[in-house]
Amino acid sequence: MNWWRRRRLRTKIFLPYSALVVAILLATLWVTGAAVSSWVERSLKRQFDATGEVYRGLMAERAERLLGETSLLAGDFALKRAIATYDPGTLSSVAQNHRDRIGVDLLWITDENGRLLAASGRGADANKPLTALAPLAQAMSTEAPAVAVTEVGHGLVQLVAVPVFGPDPIGYLLAGEAIDDATAQQLQANSGPAVSFLSSARLFATSWPADEREQLFPGSAIGSPALRAQLAHAGATQDAERSTFLLDLRGDRLLSILIPIEAQLPEPLFVLVQDSYDRALGPLAALPRWIAVIGAAALLGALLVGRVIAGGIASPVQALVAAMRRVLTGDFSQRLSLRREDEIGFLAHSFNEMVAGLAERERIKDTFGSFVSRDVAAAVLSGQLPLDGERRDVTVLFQDVRGFTTIAEQTDPRMLVRIVNRLFAEMAAAVEAQGGIIRVFTGDGVMALFGAPVVYADHAARAVRAGLDMLARLPAMNAELEAEHLPALRIGVGIATGEVIVGRMGADQRSEYNVVGDTANLASRVEGLNKELGTALLIAATTAACLGAEFVLGRRAVIAVKGKEHPVEVVEVLGAVPDARQAG
Amino acid sequence: MRALRLRDATTIAVVALLGVTGPLRAAEIGGRVVDPQGNPVREAVVFIDQLAPGVAPPVNGRTATMDQVHRQFVPHVLPVQVGTQVSFPNHDQIHHHVYSLSRTKTFEIPLYKGETAPPIRFEQVGAVKLGCNIHDWMSGIILVVPTPYFATTDEQGAFTLRDVPAGTYGVVAWHEGSKVKVEDTRQSVTAGAGASPLTFTLEVVEPRVRPVARRGYE
Repeated sequence: MNWWRRRRLRTKIFLPYSALVVAILLATLWVTGAAVSSWVERSLKRQFDATGEVYRGLMAERAERLLGETSLLAGDFALKRAIATYDPGTLSSVAQNHRDRIGVDLLWITDENGRLLAASGRGADANKPLTALAPLAQAMSTEAPAVAVTEVGHGLVQLVAVPVFGPDPIGYLLAGEAIDDATAQQLQANSGPAVSFLSSARLFATSWPADEREQLFPGSAIGSPALRAQLAHAGATQDAERSTFLLDLRGDRLLSILIPIEAQLPEPLFVLVQDSYDRALGPLAALPRWIAVIGAAALLGALLVGRVIAGGIASPVQALVAAMRRVLTGDFSQRLSLRREDEIGFLAHSFNEMVAGLAERERIKDTFGSFVSRDVAAAVLSGQLPLDGERRDVTVLFQDVRGFTTIAEQTDPRMLVRIVNRLFAEMAAAVEAQGGIIRVFTGDGVMALFGAPVVYADHAARAVRAGLDMLARLPAMNAELEAEHLPALRIGVGIATGEVIVGRMGADQRSEYNVVGDTANLASRVEGLNKELGTALLIAATTAACLGAEFVLGRRAVIAVKGKEHPVEVVEVLGAVPDARQAG
Repeated sequence: MRALRLRDATTIAVVALLGVTGPLRAAEIGGRVVDPQGNPVREAVVFIDQLAPGVAPPVNGRTATMDQVHRQFVPHVLPVQVGTQVSFPNHDQIHHHVYSLSRTKTFEIPLYKGETAPPIRFEQVGAVKLGCNIHDWMSGIILVVPTPYFATTDEQGAFTLRDVPAGTYGVVAWHEGSKVKVEDTRQSVTAGAGASPLTFTLEVVEPRVRPVARRGYE
């Protein structure tokens, strides 16, 4: 599984797809093979059945002919008279003559008791009475012609026995035609498959050439154990449905079937019909090859298509991954250009939006620092606020902690950082509540800007409200600090209003939204006057001029300030007029 | 009349030769032929095949007739004493070709009509099976017996051997369909008054009907 997890996406698409294609191909091959061999088997079996029919037809025709011709001979009065002579020489010549007349392999003449009088052609078995031959025995008992396949002199013979009436039987004519290799060959010529006549004891005749004959039936014996078993089985179940079986001939598979033949023999006689299974499959053997070739081509094509598809999925994903890696290192310039509208396209589009958002955020952070109110950030991101340099009337607020140096010296540094952070949180909250931005943290105070980049007509009032809010927040904070046995803080706030230049300033990576102008210095100086005047919130006259009746103002003073040519007029702010907004 | 006289003379001669006492008049031997089930067997021939010692068979000068009527031999079975001349008149309007291939007597009367055929003398005891070369179903038997004492059973299987001189004889029964040898049926009987009727039991196989006969004439 680890191995699989480590594979690339393309491989993960390829492998199951290829396995699927190969599996489908193999299944197709198997199904085709099974169907083809079943078809071949059925068609061979049909052919075999046809051979069986041809055999039966041939035998019936031969029997008909034998019976007909022999019966005609038996009715010949000259023959009857010849038999009545009981002269061996005469009868022997008659047998010869009549055999030639009807063209059979053997012709025998017996007396009315079945004793042989004369024989022509194949000789009779000397030590066996003729009456043991089924057709003769039957003809003697029924006085009617009889026919049967029987064994004569180690060969199969289709034998007819016909009584010779004078007018009662005075003898019998036996005529026979051999069922030999020629018969088998004729059968094969008529029907196709190889034909052999055999019983479990031996082979009688076959259409196989000498070589194959010796291979299949060495010395006319039933050599193959498989064939012997089939013969035994077929002999036991003569009426059962015949089924095919395979025999081996020098590596060639022979589909074979045993068809029982009615015969008068000690063991049941069969026609063994055989044809080469592999040769029959031959024309169809090319089929699996073609399927394999087509399959291989399909596999190759499938792999190519799969590669394209996998590439279509994997390469954008890889591009995405590469871009993501660069984003992780802080490079927000990455964009994916995919002209797709599918899931991948959506993914790329989302990625682009996400990176753009990250880039904006980073830019704002770089520009304004961490403390930017949500509203300001939204205004900047929407692009409504130009960050380029411009002149603006703004109000600048300075806040400072009194006696911070002493506190810093007396307090544990970690505690000090906590105190400062706590203070900044309150100060920043007061600034953001009025829509200002924190321009800089000074260590024990903040510098805040109102009226830029967001334009507020009441930037002066906002700044003053923020200053009052800072002062208002102190008691609660000091209570918490004292509870932690930390020193309470006192702060001073100075505010000034005037024209400044604002904009993003600095090198690319380090640019900030900055303010340049005398107003900022003035605000800082005004804050410093708090110590001298013993006040908490002082504002420059420029600021006071911008205020309505919202605030309660206290003392005014005109004081010379270091670095200023003219003295500066400052006003103390005591608080907000109760319900001033409603009143004003 | 002449025959009677001859028979009387023979009887007298036999009696004189044997010195047999008692009634010297000729006797009858009667009886029946039945099958093992007791059914009568018709057309069986019962005849004396052994004369009493010293009894000479009468000289045979007789003739007999095997007729051909409606493409059949009539009678089907004709017993004759050995030496009898049998004529074969043809009472059909067509030709017949009468032959026998039996070992007892082989002969042939080629195609003929009417009563033109010369009689045939049968000089050997045995059955002579007759056929017609042009009508395969025609079948007849001439049973050549050694003595003039023979009879054919009637529908009831009954027979009577007449004019048998007194004496002890071997009597046998023959039937076309019997597989038993004639000698094996022999019964010894003493002809004369009070002789009880003979019963022969023969197993008879019905003669086979030739396939061609089915198409034959009635």
